[in-house]
This record gives sequence, C-alpha cells and structure tokens, in this order.
Amino acid sequence: MENDANGVHFSHMRTAIKLAKYALDHGETPVACIFVHSPTNKIVAYGLNDTNNSLSGIAHAEFIGIDQIKAKFGVDRLLDVFKDLVLYVTVEPCIMCASALKQLGIQKVIFGCGNERFGGNGTILSINKDDSTRSPSGLVYESFPGIFRKEAVMLLRYFYVKENDHAPTPRNKSDRNLDTETFPDMEWSKYVERSQFAQEFGSQYLEIFDCNQDLPQFSTVDCDLIDNPCDDIINYLETQINSFHLDNIHKKIKLAK
Amino acid sequence: MVKKRANPLRIDFKKGIIEDKLLQIRNEETKEVPDLIHIWTVDISPKDSKKFIELVRFLASPRDPVSLLHIKRVKKNVIGSNTSLMVALCSIQLFNSKDEVIRTLQEFNRDLVYENLTCEHQAPLQGPGTKEQAISWSEKYWPLIWRGNPNDQILNDMEFDMLFIKDILKKISEKSKEELANGNKRPIVTAFVEPSKKETIITTDSCCTTPLDHSIMNGIRKVAENNMKYSRMHPNTEKTKDSPYLCLGYEIYTTHEPCSMCSMALIHSRIKRCIFIEPMAHTGSLTVNSGDGYCMHNNRLLNSKYEVFQWIGDEYKVPALPRDTCC
Repeated sequence: MENDANGVHFSHMRTAIKLAKYALDHGETPVACIFVHSPTNKIVAYGLNDTNNSLSGIAHAEFIGIDQIKAKFGVDRLLDVFKDLVLYVTVEPCIMCASALKQLGIQKVIFGCGNERFGGNGTILSINKDDSTRSPSGLVYESFPGIFRKEAVMLLRYFYVKENDHAPTPRNKSDRNLDTETFPDMEWSKYVERSQFAQEFGSQYLEIFDCNQDLPQFSTVDCDLIDNPCDDIINYLETQINSFHLDNIHKKIKLAK
Repeated sequence: MVKKRANPLRIDFKKGIIEDKLLQIRNEETKEVPDLIHIWTVDISPKDSKKFIELVRFLASPRDPVSLLHIKRVKKNVIGSNTSLMVALCSIQLFNSKDEVIRTLQEFNRDLVYENLTCEHQAPLQGPGTKEQAISWSEKYWPLIWRGNPNDQILNDMEFDMLFIKDILKKISEKSKEELANGNKRPIVTAFVEPSKKETIITTDSCCTTPLDHSIMNGIRKVAENNMKYSRMHPNTEKTKDSPYLCLGYEIYTTHEPCSMCSMALIHSRIKRCIFIEPMAHTGSLTVNSGDGYCMHNNRLLNSKYEVFQWIGDEYKVPALPRDTCC
C-alpha cells in the first residue's frame, strides 16, 4: 500500500521546516508548526516559537497556532474544528503542548525529531495516550515521528551554537562543534506500534521500523531546505490561511455527497 | 542555615509535614528493597590498608560512573585468629573484566598485595532513607554509612512564612467560592507571588469562554506581560540577576492540583514552589497517587524541578469539581 499520506506529510512538513528556518533567521528557537484541516488538506493556522520575543516560557509554536485558530473560528466552533485537524510540527510537542492538543481533541500529530528534554508524545512521557489528560471525546491521538527528522535536528543544532542571551547566565557555546554527520537512531517503537506504522506509511517499510532507520526519502539531509533563506514563507502561509473558510467547506462537502 | 533542632518550625521529617499543615509532595524514592549493584572487591591484610584507601580514592567517581559515597569501603573478615579486610574497589560499571581490574591495579601500584579479586558481592545502589533501613541493609547486603536523610536537610533549609501562606490560601479559597457563586463552572484560582513577595497576581480559570485558559496559564501570561512592561521601562539597563526572567523564583498557590499541561508550564516558567489545596485524583500531575502518577515537579526523566506542598489543614475548603476536570 503506497499511501497518499506519505506525499501529504512530505509537503506539509516541508512547509513547517521552512517556517522553523524563518524562526531561526529571526532569532527564535527553530521550532514551527502548521495545522492542516484533514478533510480538505488545507492549512488553517501556523505557529513559530515566540518564547524569547514574548518573554513567556509557554509561547511555544503550537500555542501560537492554537491562538490563531481560536481567533479565526471563535470559541464556540473550536472543538468542532479541532477534531479534523492534523498538526505538523518540526519537533515533538513538549509535555505541556501535548496535553493542550489532547484537551482540544486534535485528530493526529506528525513531527520531525523527538524532543529529548521535554517530549510529550513518547520521548519522555506519552501524554497523547495517557488516562489523566482528558480529551473532549475521551479518545487518545496518534503521533508519528520521522518526517524531515534530520533537517529538524540540524536547525536545532544551528540554534544551539548561537548563545541564548535571554537567560540570566548565558552559557558560552562558541566552542561547540556543529555535527552534520551523526544522528541518533530513529526509535519508532517509542512513539507508535508496529501495526500503526504499517498503516500510516505502508507495510513495505516495516523493515525500517524494525531497524530504527529513517524512511528512504529522509535518509540524507536536504541542505537547500535548511540553508536557503525563506522569508516569503509567512506571505505564503497568510494567503493560505486567509483563503480557508469553514462555511464554504461545509457546502462543498455537502455538494460532493 | 539553622540546625534541625534550632528550627522554629515544627517539621515532621519522616512524613515531610511542616507545622502539621503542609505535606511535601515527592516521588516515593525511599524503597523498601534497594536496587543492587555488583562491586569489585579484594581481600587484603590490615597493614596494607593505607595503599588501598589511596587506590579507592583514585577509582572513585568521577572515574566510577556509580557514586558509592553511601557504602563503607572496608569490611572486616575474622577467620579464627586471622583478621583480613575486604575492600570495595569500585562498581562493576567501571571495569567489566577481571583482567582490566588487574591491569589497572598494577599500573596504579606494582606492590599491591591482594587475594580473591571478585565481583560477586553486591551493594545497594541508593543510600537508605532511614536509620533503621541503614542498619537492616548493612546486615543484609553491604555495610553502609548513615549520614541522615538528605531530604531532612533540604526541608530544614526551606523557608516557610506560615502567616503569609495562610493569608494567600485564604484569599484564593474565598475567591474560588466567589467564582462558583458567580456561575463559573470551573472555580479554580491561582496566586502568583513574585520573589520579593511584594506583589501577588491572582488569576481565575476562563476555560468556559476560551478553552485551555486554565488559571495557571492565565497567570503565566500575566507575569510575562508585566515582565514585558518592565523591560520596556528599563530598555538600556544591563540584565542583572534581579531582572525578571519568566517566573523565576515565584511561589504559586492554587486551589486544585494542576493537570499535565499546567504542571509542565510551571517547569517551563522556572517557578520555585507550588502549594495546592485540593488533590485531583484522576487528572492531577503532582502527587504519586493522582492520575498517571507523573510527579511532574520531581520526575527523574525531567531535569528541572520545583518544590510542591499540599495544604492538609481543615481550613480553606474549596468547591469540589467533577472528577474529569483538568485544572
């Protein structure tokens, strides 16, 4: 089963990576996300990390996107919209964001690399599958790693060789060398069951799951993607989200039926 | 730092309770049965002990990845009229083969005389939690050193202004009842007290109008706004240790035990202490018995921490919430 999902994931995560590169170029932690309305495959919101700029430790990319969705659809329709949304985020949501997404009832999360310090979709805790974090439907959400994983890691490495002068005692990081060759194993089983993996990516890739490898299209780093400036990405996303209207969608879906 | 005996506060160190009212919430780290680790040991003659003590110092952490500060390094063997000493050299994690140990010992000092090099003995990996445990583990596994529970000193060094704490808890519990009376179905209230204790921000839950706006998230945003004002008013001043940074050093007082989102948001915000009144058995993320038992503030997988206490006095009752409420 060569799944359509692979192509969809590829194109949306590519957009998210460009947005993270934009964040890096503008002095923020290079983590970014886009929210996609899955019935129509349209981008409805985006977010990039804003913790340095806003002096708030909770202004993560996901929350910026959630605020856009709140503003666009209004609070009354928020949960109704959320159940159709898929999040593409370059780095695994932290425990806080994983919890927020679950409490809003997100459909699914796709991410690039794991979050080794605070990951809430399998690296540290699995908030998406837990009992204590309640979702509106009472359901858990699936979360898949590995899409543009190495590019997501590289952007973080670019960032961490710069200094964070917002911290009270900045650490000197200039002596750190930038590693472009080695990456940790892709430990699929931390995040998804073998059967879920097969269903999402196709059973012909199961060997990749078993050997902790990257999917073939993500085995080498796409240097152009993370090295070229992409200042036009914001304009592109603004056009995308402004052309999305839920009312038209409902009509179209009804007509199609 | 005061001596334990001189502390004016009444502290039950065993249960971790301050003045019979504040229960320290921590991960249950004191185990009845310890994890064990194999150690390399040798038998030596008492006259050689000085050389071997030097060797033990040489091998100890950071060389040895396992800290063995809590074990006695020398154990007496009395066989008839002969007394020999058994020395714990290091953990098995430092050397995984006998040859490696022999080589290192020879390099350290060619004249070392020893017998029975083995890794068959085991010692507790963690120090004991109580004196009684120190005695029983010493008999069962390997002689241990008892220096007192490190948490006792930590608790003893913490500051508690009980009058201030009671005053804030009274305010938030009253505000919580007021919110309920005004029709807020989620009457959860939090107070953010900045480090100098001069200013307090009190926030309520506004989830009913905007989902995810829990009282803690609202408070964190409010502090960020205030810090932004401060940095606009002092644009050219050098950043010092006293410039506000997130919620660094803040004390948080909240009516209901926070959910996974809020308890993690408090880590991101670098708070010092959280005191809550009502535990949330199904959705809470701080106590071992709540929800999935995350103990978010003291989870060994997360390298950041904050102090957490539960008010266990009868005062300051707060409205009960449906069991599925994430606070």
